[in-house]
This record gives sequence, structure tokens and C-alpha cells, in this order.
Amino acid sequence: MDNGEPAPSYEGIAASFAKAKAEQEQQESQGLKPTSNDAAAAKKQSEIQFKAAHGLLVAFLSLIMLLQLLGIYLFTSGFLLTRFTFDYKSECAVPPVYTSARTYTAGTPERGCWHPRTFDKAIVILIDALRYDFTIPSSSEGATEKPHHFHNAFPVLYEAAVEQPRNAFLLPFIADAPTATMQRLKGLTTGTLPAFVDAGSNFAGTVIEEDNLISQLKNASKRIVHLGDDTWHALFPDHFDPELTRPYDSFNVWDLHTVDNGVTDHILPLMHASNTSKWDVVIGHYLGVDHAGHRYGPDHPAMAAKLKQMDDVIRRMIEQLDDSTLLVVMGDHGMDAKGDHGGESDDEIQAALWMYSKQERFGRSSPSFNTPPATAKERPVAQIDLVPTLSLLLGMPIPFNNLGKPIEEAFIGTQGIDYENLATVNRLTSAQIYRYQQEYASVQSMDEAARAASLTSFNHANEAWDSTGTKSKSEEYAHVYAMYQTYQQETLDICKAMWASFDVPRMLHGVEILAFSLIMLAIYARGLTGDLSELSPVLLARGGIGALLGALVGFGVSSAIPDVPTQHAIIYAAAIFGNLGIASAFWYLRRRLVSVLPNSVWGYLSVIFTLLLSVGFAANSFTIWEDEILLHFLSTFGFLAALSSLRQPRTTDRVLGVYHSVLFVILTRLASLSRLCREEQMPFCKSTYYASATSSTSATWQLAIPFIVALLLPTFIRGYYEGTLSYQNSAVMWLGFGLRFGLLLSAAYWALDAADDGDWYPGFSGMLKTSKTIIAQLTLAIAVGVGYPTFTWAKPLLNIEEGKSHTPHPAKQIVPSGGRSSIAILGYNNVHGSRYALLITVWYLATALLQKPMGAGALALCCWQIFSLLEIIATNHLAHSSIGPVILGLLGSFHFFKTGHQAALSSIQWESAFIPLHTIRYPWSPLLVVLNTFGAQILCAVAVPALVLWKQPPRKAGLLGDVARATATHVLFYATVNLATTMWAGHLRRHLMLYRIFSPRFMMGALVLVIVDAVGIFVAVGGTRMSFLSVGEVFGVA
Amino acid sequence: MATTVLNSHPKPRAPATPTDVLPTDAAQLYTHIHPILVLSLYALQFPSIVADPVPALATALVPLGILQIAYVAICLPPTGGTATPVVDKKKPGSGAGEKGKKGGMRGTIIPGFLSLIVVSIVIAPLLAAILVLFGAPLTTHHAHTLLAAAHISFLATLPLVYVHGVDGAAWRDIIALLRPVDEVYGGMIGGVVGAWLGAVPIPLDWDREWQKWPVTIVSGAYVGWAVGKMVGGFLKGRKIGFE
Repeated sequence: MDNGEPAPSYEGIAASFAKAKAEQEQQESQGLKPTSNDAAAAKKQSEIQFKAAHGLLVAFLSLIMLLQLLGIYLFTSGFLLTRFTFDYKSECAVPPVYTSARTYTAGTPERGCWHPRTFDKAIVILIDALRYDFTIPSSSEGATEKPHHFHNAFPVLYEAAVEQPRNAFLLPFIADAPTATMQRLKGLTTGTLPAFVDAGSNFAGTVIEEDNLISQLKNASKRIVHLGDDTWHALFPDHFDPELTRPYDSFNVWDLHTVDNGVTDHILPLMHASNTSKWDVVIGHYLGVDHAGHRYGPDHPAMAAKLKQMDDVIRRMIEQLDDSTLLVVMGDHGMDAKGDHGGESDDEIQAALWMYSKQERFGRSSPSFNTPPATAKERPVAQIDLVPTLSLLLGMPIPFNNLGKPIEEAFIGTQGIDYENLATVNRLTSAQIYRYQQEYASVQSMDEAARAASLTSFNHANEAWDSTGTKSKSEEYAHVYAMYQTYQQETLDICKAMWASFDVPRMLHGVEILAFSLIMLAIYARGLTGDLSELSPVLLARGGIGALLGALVGFGVSSAIPDVPTQHAIIYAAAIFGNLGIASAFWYLRRRLVSVLPNSVWGYLSVIFTLLLSVGFAANSFTIWEDEILLHFLSTFGFLAALSSLRQPRTTDRVLGVYHSVLFVILTRLASLSRLCREEQMPFCKSTYYASATSSTSATWQLAIPFIVALLLPTFIRGYYEGTLSYQNSAVMWLGFGLRFGLLLSAAYWALDAADDGDWYPGFSGMLKTSKTIIAQLTLAIAVGVGYPTFTWAKPLLNIEEGKSHTPHPAKQIVPSGGRSSIAILGYNNVHGSRYALLITVWYLATALLQKPMGAGALALCCWQIFSLLEIIATNHLAHSSIGPVILGLLGSFHFFKTGHQAALSSIQWESAFIPLHTIRYPWSPLLVVLNTFGAQILCAVAVPALVLWKQPPRKAGLLGDVARATATHVLFYATVNLATTMWAGHLRRHLMLYRIFSPRFMMGALVLVIVDAVGIFVAVGGTRMSFLSVGEVFGVA
Repeated sequence: MATTVLNSHPKPRAPATPTDVLPTDAAQLYTHIHPILVLSLYALQFPSIVADPVPALATALVPLGILQIAYVAICLPPTGGTATPVVDKKKPGSGAGEKGKKGGMRGTIIPGFLSLIVVSIVIAPLLAAILVLFGAPLTTHHAHTLLAAAHISFLATLPLVYVHGVDGAAWRDIIALLRPVDEVYGGMIGGVVGAWLGAVPIPLDWDREWQKWPVTIVSGAYVGWAVGKMVGGFLKGRKIGFE
């Protein structure tokens, strides 16, 4: 370790040793030629040995990555419920039925597409969070329980259904979780169930591209007017009549009246006879009940007042309604006892549905059904049932993806005996479901046994239908109707099982694999003494053989026992046996095993940070505020680093250490000013990443940030190089010119981009677009085409200064030469670190271009902090501690948030794919989005080897092993976070915040682990091959 | 901090020794009563601090300052005082140190009061800046942050200033955790750690009034200080190792 110090005198054994060593080095470096053939051969030999050791190390780390991938895959395939969406649209002229014997054979929206239409027009009133028990009389007649405020305040629906059963019906209307308005609107218009990932052509946006009732209405040239909650416009842009539509902001939960009054003020005039010709369908979305629930809860006078207001509005609508219009009133979900919703408790899913018509259109299959059900458990209909019902009533085709069934009351006729009609509409619906099922089976494997059973039901139903004739009685049709219903229910069950149930054994086995490989990684990273790079052969061989053996065992077991799924068994056995193989290698190496438990303040700090963060992910609050927690941790580290630096015995270490620690803390706080808040952080967070909270473009002043970065950052990095006189040769060219020029270009890109976006120079738009793309490509070309070759082939950053003034420069390595003159090797003290750290700057250039101006600034601070961290680690002699790699993990995670991201799908900056490209191109476009999203973690992962190389002696033994240990520790941090988020997501899979918080964080944890694995192994450890060989050219490979 | 380092003297100093509570009966007794008094007072004021932190915290500073001065005057040797014989006294520092040798009320109350001034003027603003670095609001809640810093520094650092004055070398050792543990030093470490832990409940979505800034970290500092003071007394003389 003493080589890092200046050598002011030549006394003592150490000095004479250093002198002898220096003489040899001087000979080599002076002539840069081998002194003898033997030496050349020995050098060649050690070079080959190094390459082999390096290759084996990369292979072993890849094996660990493979084991982690298997665990992630197994868990994910059991956890992430994916539903594929189709672009197919149902067509008016193409009904889904084969035999058209006695059926209706028309195909125009005027008469009805697949079935004669019942109504010309419709008014659909959606009262957000209208729970079923709000609409029926308090059931506790005479009971001790007092009626709540929400009871008996909204009686009109119930009264109409009881007094005029042929004009109205009221039913419980059951929502599918998640009971959030946007998810519900999807279900209410497409007729399908929500899954976490709706994998379709548009992954990012909220626009519904599946076939749906609104699009069908629009295609049929119906004029749709929308009033109220603006969520509809995010889902159906450009679907609504621009003149009559009035959207209102839905986010202000404290405002109970603006939206409701707006809807009422506009809807009643529209219903006036003079205006009814201007529209075909009106959608009115009231929010007051929902907001009253969120603000006060259901049992509050404000809720009673709100419900009374709704009662009054509906009564006025009934008065004004004309004969050909259908009036629908419904809730999209309910609310729990506190007035909130999102989950799947009974109170949250039980909404109400009411349909009304001035003409007698509706019926009941039994007179006792005239009274609406007393509880939502009786005769409920599903919310998806609205889709086929409304489609057929309005003469529209049933949307392609629909899984709902027509509501009995709407088709059974006023006498309650028209089973022929009921059978007909159910046949149509079933046939469309069958069509969908056939398509779906071609993209995702279904439960074959269940599917076969449902197909049999379908065939039986069709046969029963075919056997009916013109003289058939209603009992026969009732039978057909029942059979079609059976088929529909079976299909729905299959789909629900496929999209809404978790494969728990797969999830458990995934977690087991992740936990097992985490333990192996921990032992490898922290529990082995000596040079890790020597151990790769035995670890790789045993681990690899174990994995292969496991795959065979898994295959054998699954062939022997038919119930065991093959793929699952092979993956599980391969991963477990692979880990066992590594464990056996540890047993073989047991003399080198030491406790993995920390033995210093820094070790404990690494463990505490990692564990606190990981445990915190079990709570939604800590997950939401992860950015602030990371700030707290990083400041704590900087603070303790300052204390530790003060404890250093040498003044230079103290000064440098305290300076860089304080700098680290200040830079962390500075970076923390860049924020992009997630919805859940409101109102305690103010976004600064873009021009305003509602925009996604940068403010003009932010365009200056990349220019400032281009001017200053290369200078600052140069400062870190000059500290050890390492600013030589290629560093001058790259840091002084290449990097700065590249950063200037990227700043220019963002200025042009803003000019293009803001249309500052009308008429030059085309030119701006072309030139900014070219500039972006040029920037990446500089990183890849100049930076990487510089890093790969540069000589070590050394220079030689002869004679003269060697005493005033304490940082130089003084080399006496024959006693008469002396030379100094400039940059000797940090030859490994300075050489490798070039790679960090190359990656900075590539990732900075892809960040928005604010993000480029944050990432520049990240880069600066990395160099400060290197100094802190070097001055506190922490190169072998776990703290460096863990802090880099925290730093990467922190700057993930500071570059405008959140652990939420909505924060992905998809547009970054188009920075250097005009169109989507594989594999580049996804790669660009990954570089944008995880740029900070990537940059920090690249920096990991520098921790153990910065200011280390050129010929220090075991440096490759140190690199392996640091990289493994860094991966260990992310692997722990990944295991924790995986376990929490699996454990909390029924939590109402699963879709919003835990699932996205789990996905991010898994993705980051895989990316950091890949970057750490192939870029960072891979990069040390170049830098070690380059340094080895001069000093010999250690 | 950096300047302190540069000025640090190369010549070897006598090893630092833990601070002893004065051997008088009053001191031995009051040192145990003091934390109970301070915590009870805080608990009493807690509802009003939660209701409106700024005026309540400002008001609470007065009794805290009085109690702390009483504590140091009764229980602790002032800087340069005879009870700390091994501490190098060649540089008694300014202000607080000069009155040290006189003894009696003037020798204790006045240094205590001067310590309070040093803490208010120098340490509290510094601590407020550190709180901001750790994530306290940068543009708002300045009074909250400053008052929180004042409470923490009154608790954690006033006795240290009283005992060690403004001797740069001693303070370098204090910051670097190089001094042997005693109840004064333990109180400081406990107070800082308590304030750190006090940040933990802030993000939780419990919707409690007391989660507002800076109630939790001030409370954490009070509890941490009391615990640290006690633990420091038990572990007197131990040194903190980083390795």
C-alpha cells in the first residue's frame, strides 16, 4: 500500500526495494523494449495467463447471471399476468354466426348490425363510485342499526324499477379489480378483463386500441358527446363530438361540485327536443359521489347531499327523455368504508346498474324479480355484460374481445317469456366469444382440458339451437339459452384463470432460486480470502456441471412423472443443481472461507443500507419515497466518510478525504433538486424535471445545463487526473477534446430539439429535424467510434520527465538512474485507475445524450460524484471494503430518479428511442430506451472496477481478483434488492397497491439486476482486460 | 471542517480522557435527574409542537437552554477547569474558556451561558445546513429546520462546548469519533443517531399530524440523546473503532 505515498527519502529497506524495482521499470519504460528474450517470453506467458484467468472469470460471473435469470424468469412467468390484445375489429356486415337459417340477416347500423336494434339513441350516465347499496332502501327495517347517511338518499332508480318494471330495471353491477376508474372504463367499453400487462401494439399509452363500443359507435358515424371526467379523452382521443363535448379535470378530489354541475348544465339542454338531433349517444360522467367518498367517506352528510342531488338530476332526465332513447345510470365501482377504492373487497366491486326507457322494453323472467335485489349478492350482473347488451340494444356489432353476456332483463321481452330472442342474442354473443377464443388460443397457451370442455359446451349449444324450429316452444329456447350461458361462463372462467390467477409454485421456486444464488454470490463476494480470480476454474466447472446435470434431472423427472411441467422442472432443477455445484466448490475451498458478516463500520454500513432499503420495499410509502431515502443514505455515507477521513493519520489523506466527502454530500443534494414526482408523492413533491408539472418538455433555461456540463465536466475530471499527474497522452486528447466536443454536440442536439418542438423557426422544421438527428448520431459515433478505441488501444497515461526539479513534486515517482541524473514517471501512482476510468467518461457521453437536459446535468453530477467516491475510497483505504460497490449501487439508483424516472411504467421516456433515429429499429430502439432509463445504474456499474484500481500500485498482485470481488459485491446489492422486491410483490399479490407500486418496483428490480449483471460482466470486467493489458505492456501483467 | 484539519498540530498531544461528572453529591444526583426532566418537559410540550411547530419549538428552547446550563453548571467541569487535568490547557480558546478557572457560580453559570451562545451562533446554523444536505426542505420551512437544529445542538453539543471549549484539535477528535466515550460524548452521538432515525417515519402514509417536519427528528434527537447519555456513562472510556 505504500506505493501510493510520496517517497521523499531513500532510506531503509523499503526504499532500496523500491529503488531496485524502479530501476527495472525504468529500463522497461525508457526503451519500451524487452531487455532480453527470456523477459519477453515471460511477459508473453503472463499475458496469456491473464487472458485465460480473465476469460474464466467472465464465464463464471455469467454463470451467476444465468442462475439469476432463471430465477427471475420462473417467478415472472408465474406472476406477471399477461393478456394479449388484438387489433381485430368486429364488423357490422360480418356477424359471427355460421348458419343464418332463421336469424336476422342485415348489416346496417340503421336497422341493427347483427340484431334488430331496440333504441336509436342512448344517454349513459356514469356516477363514479355509485355503490349498489346507495340505490336501494335501507335493508335494516326495524333492525337496531340506524340508517347511514348514504341510505335512502337516491331512491329514484329503485322506485322506477318497482313501479314500472317494464320500463326500468335495477341490478347489482359487479366490477373486476382493480377498481380504478381508468381500468373500469376499459372493462365497460371493451368487455374484457384487466391484466397487469396488456401486451399489444401500444404498450406505453393509455389509448384503448382494442375493439370497443365507443370505436364501434364512431365507425358507424354516430355522434358521441362526452361530458365530465376527462379520463375518457385519454382512452378515446378524437372520438367525441368536438363542439358539444365538455371534459373536466378529474384530479381535484377536494372539489365536489365543478364536474357535476358542469355535466348537469350541459346535459339537460342536450335532451331538449330541439337539440336531440345533434347527437346519438351522450356519456355523462359524474365525479361528485366519488370525491365525496374520498374526502368524507360514505357515511357523511355531504354524501347524502350529493346523492340527493343525483336523485334530482335523474328525475329531471326522466322527465325530459324521449321515446326512442335509452337512459343508463351506473357506477363504475363502489367504495370501501373509508370511501376509497382500487382493490377487490365487496364494497369496492359492488356498483349499481339501472336502465330506463319511456317505452316498455324490459321484462323479468319471474314476477318476483320486479323488486331489485336486496343485496348485491343476488342476481348480480358483471360490468362486462354491459358491452354486448348496449351493443345489441343500439344495433352495434359486439366488440371483438368481449367476454360479457347480454343482460336477461333487456332482451326477455315485456312479458318475460321471449326466450327465443334471448337465445338469439346469446348465440350471437357466444359465437363472437368463440371467434375471440380461437384467435387467443393461437397466441397464448390455454388450459387445454378446460378449453376442450368449453368447446364441447359450445357445440352442444349449437346443436340444440339447430334442432329448434319455427314452432319451438319457449322452454326449448330457454334450454338453448342456458347452454350458451354455460359456454360463456366456462370461457370467462378460463380467461379469468389465465389472466387473474398466479402460478404460486412457479413464483415460490423462482424466489428459492434467487435466494440460493444470492447466498452463493454473497459467499463469493465477501466470504473468500485471497485472489478470487484463481478460483474461477473450480467454481465454473462445478457450477456448470451442476447446472447441466440439473437440467437432465429435471427433464428425467418431468418425463417420468407426467404431472410435472417439463419447462418448469428443467429450469428449477438446473438452477438448484447449479447453485449446489457452486456450493460444493466452496466446500472444496473451505480453507479459504471466512465469515461473510461485516467486520468494520463500513461493512456494517453496507449491510444496513442494503437491508433497510430492501425491507422498506415491503411498505408502499418507502417504495414511493425511495428517492428521498437514497438521498438520506448517500448523505449519511458522505458524512461518515468525512468523519473517517478526519481519522486518517496522514494530512494529505485527511484533506483530500474531507474535501471529497463534503463535495460528495453537496453534489448529492444538488442532484436531488432534479425531481420528477410520481402521482403518489403528490402533493408533497414538486416536479422540476420539465418546464412544468404538466409538461414533458424542458424549460428554456434548462437548455443551458448541457452546455455548462460540456464546459465544466471535462475540466473537473481533468482535475482528478492531474492529482496524480495522469493527465497525459490519450487522456489529453479524449478528456480535453473528444469528450468535450461530444458533450457540446449533445447540448446542441437538445437546443435544436427545443427549437423544433417549440417551432421557434417556422419553415425550418424539416431542416431542424434532419440536423438534430445527424448531430445525435455523430455524438454516439464519437462515444463508440472515438472513445472506445481510445480506451481499447491507448497506452498507459504515463509520461517521463528527466532530471532537473524532482524535489518540489512530491507526487512523482523519483527514479534514480545510475546516481547521476534522475527521471520521474508522471502518472505512476494511478496508472491503473486513470487508465480504466476513461471508460466511465466514454459511457457518460453515450448515456448523457439520451437524457433530457436536466437529466444530462444530473448524470454529470453522478459522474463527478463517482470520481469523488474514488478519491474517498482511496484516501480511506477502502478498496477492499464492500462500501464502495454498495455506494455505487445507491448512487446509480438515486440518479435513476434524478434523470426523470420513477418505478412506474408511466415514467418511461419512450421518445428517447427517437433521439438518434427517425423510426423504430431493432435492436437499437429498445437499447436506446434502456440506456435512457437505466443510464445512471449503467454508469455506476461501469465505474465499479475503478474503486479497486484508483491509486493502486501498478504491480499490485491480485487486482483482477479485487475487480471480481467489487463487481460481485455491486451485483450483490442489486440482487438483494431484487430478491426483496420479488418476495414482497409475490407476498402482496392481493394488495390493492400491487399494480401501482409493488409490481412496477419488482419489474424494475429484476430489469436493473439483469442490466447491471450484463454491464458489470461484459463492460466493466470486460473493460479491465483492455486496461490491464495496456498497463501490462509497460509494467508486466501482475 | 477542512480548515480545522489544516490547522491541526503535528506535535503529539496527550491522550484524551473521558469527561468525569463532578464528584459532588449534587452533580452525581442531578446527572440522572436531568434527562428525566428534559424528556418530561418535551413530552409536556409535544402536543403544542405537533399543533404548530415553529412557535412551540421556539418557546421550548428557553426551558431547554436553562436546564442544559443548569446541567453543565452542576455536573460538568468547565473547559480548562481543574477537573479535567489531562486535557492540554495551553490553548484555552476564547470566550467560554477564560472564566473556567475561577470556580463558583461565576465559574460555571457564565461559561454555560457562553457555551449556549457559541452553540446558537455557530453550531445550530451549521447543523441546519447539514439537515438541508440530508434532505430537509431547501426553499421552505427554514424556521422549522433552524429550530430543529437549535434543539438538537442544545441537547447534543452544548455540554461538549462547555467541557472542551472551542479547541480545534479537540473538536477534530470529537467529529472524527476519536475521543473516548463518556456521558457527554455519548449524548451527542445518541442525539445525532436519534435524529437520523427520526427521519424514518416521515414518509409513512399514516396521515398522523406528528409526522410533519421536523417533529420526528427532534423527538428522535431527544430520545437518542437520553439513551446515548446513559449508554455513554456505562461505556465510559471506550473508544470507537471503524475497523
